[in-house]
Amino acid sequence: MNAAEPVLVVHNLRKKYPKVEALKGISLSLPQGEIWGLLGPNGSGKSTLLKCVAGLVRPDGGEIAILGTPPSRASKAQIAFVPEVESLYRWMTVRQVLEFTSAFYDDWQKDSEEELLEFMRLDPRAKVSTLSKGMRARLRLVLALARRAPLILLDEPFSGIDPSSRDRIVEGIVRQFKGEEQTIIISTHAVGDTEQLFDAVVFLHEGSIILQGSAEELRASRGKSINDLFKEVFA
Amino acid sequence: MKRFLKLLRKDLEASRLPVFFLAGITLILMAVLRWRIAQGAWHPQVSVLGVAVPLTFFPLWLIWRSFQTLRAEWREDTVYTLLVLPVPGWQVLLAKLAGLLVEYSVLFAATVGGTFLFFGGLMDELWEVIPGPWWLAWNALWVYVTGAFVLATLAIHVQLAFVVSKMVGRLQGLVALWVLFLSTWLTDRAALLLEPLFRWLPTIRLHEFLQLTRFDEGIILEWQPAGQIGAAFATVGLLFLTGLLFERFLEING
Repeated sequence: MNAAEPVLVVHNLRKKYPKVEALKGISLSLPQGEIWGLLGPNGSGKSTLLKCVAGLVRPDGGEIAILGTPPSRASKAQIAFVPEVESLYRWMTVRQVLEFTSAFYDDWQKDSEEELLEFMRLDPRAKVSTLSKGMRARLRLVLALARRAPLILLDEPFSGIDPSSRDRIVEGIVRQFKGEEQTIIISTHAVGDTEQLFDAVVFLHEGSIILQGSAEELRASRGKSINDLFKEVFA
Repeated sequence: MKRFLKLLRKDLEASRLPVFFLAGITLILMAVLRWRIAQGAWHPQVSVLGVAVPLTFFPLWLIWRSFQTLRAEWREDTVYTLLVLPVPGWQVLLAKLAGLLVEYSVLFAATVGGTFLFFGGLMDELWEVIPGPWWLAWNALWVYVTGAFVLATLAIHVQLAFVVSKMVGRLQGLVALWVLFLSTWLTDRAALLLEPLFRWLPTIRLHEFLQLTRFDEGIILEWQPAGQIGAAFATVGLLFLTGLLFERFLEING
């Protein structure tokens, strides 16, 4: 991977559902080695944007380039996508989930998997159906972070989970983030405790970008935290 | 291959419980019938029920399963997991098909095995007519293979209908039915078109192949497979078409 090459380039991306225009010409360019916050209220287009990049939704117009190539089977191997919904096979054990997922990715790291399992306090013998919502969220994060994927997409990873699980997830991301070779996009509408994670943020509202930039620069120029800025923009 | 086997294993694990439950119920039904017949409570002809019930129910169950294995992925949101895997769509669908054929094999074995185990002793008249156990085994094998082909064909049509129905926002049931009819009609047309390509294949004298002549010298049964080979190619084409639609054109909007 060329260090200067953006991991993800989105140009004039549009997506319309029967009753709503989810994306209205989004353009973005994400360098490697950063954690981006995709911020906006429910229905702002965050999930649709991530799904378009992951290849789960076909845009109506515009372009997406992941490491220079459009979404394809090959690009799926470069992306670790954690959807907002519970996408795990509930009859599997934690170990079975890990074995199943790892079989499909050459960048899977067994040592990271073990380290993450321990850190996230997950019992490999436990069935997914017996895990709490927070534990399932942590397991889904393990599936993404145990890989050396250049692009990690986390769709609302903190949604509806308890504070202790949220803290574990934030800490897990910080610990496992392979800064020089990975880019993480985290979509969320709960900025609060997570703003420390972000190198840059994108504010999305009704399918359009209304604000974007380096988190540090925004804090300095606006004289307030990203969380306060979020409240002000979406008040 | 490793990835395909992982997909297959997942589908087999998911179906293990219902299949073994059904096979168990079948054997219990046969055992109860046999016990009641042995007690003299029921006429020996009632044993037909022990075979007829699974033979009627299992094909319907398997066709429903060909739909259900895909539907469950949507219902439980695991389709997200499947669609982000870097594997061809046809492998996902073929794994489901192979899993279905394993289910069929288990249920077939339970039905045939149970029949011989529980009702073998009641079929004296049949044993007198049949040339020998090897004849029965040979023909049972071909009944199994034919059933597997028919099931695979139906399952591929059902998979296409389901996947296309998921590509539209409304009237998914109607769309699925329409696609089912259309794909059947198209396969029929394609089979007619492809049939001349396979006319060079010899006519198979089934009465000799299945050794029906040992049963009765007067039986003549011949099969020119050109049409069915054409239909098989068309059906395989449908599998790849469904795989392509699954991989590239499905959207998850939930």
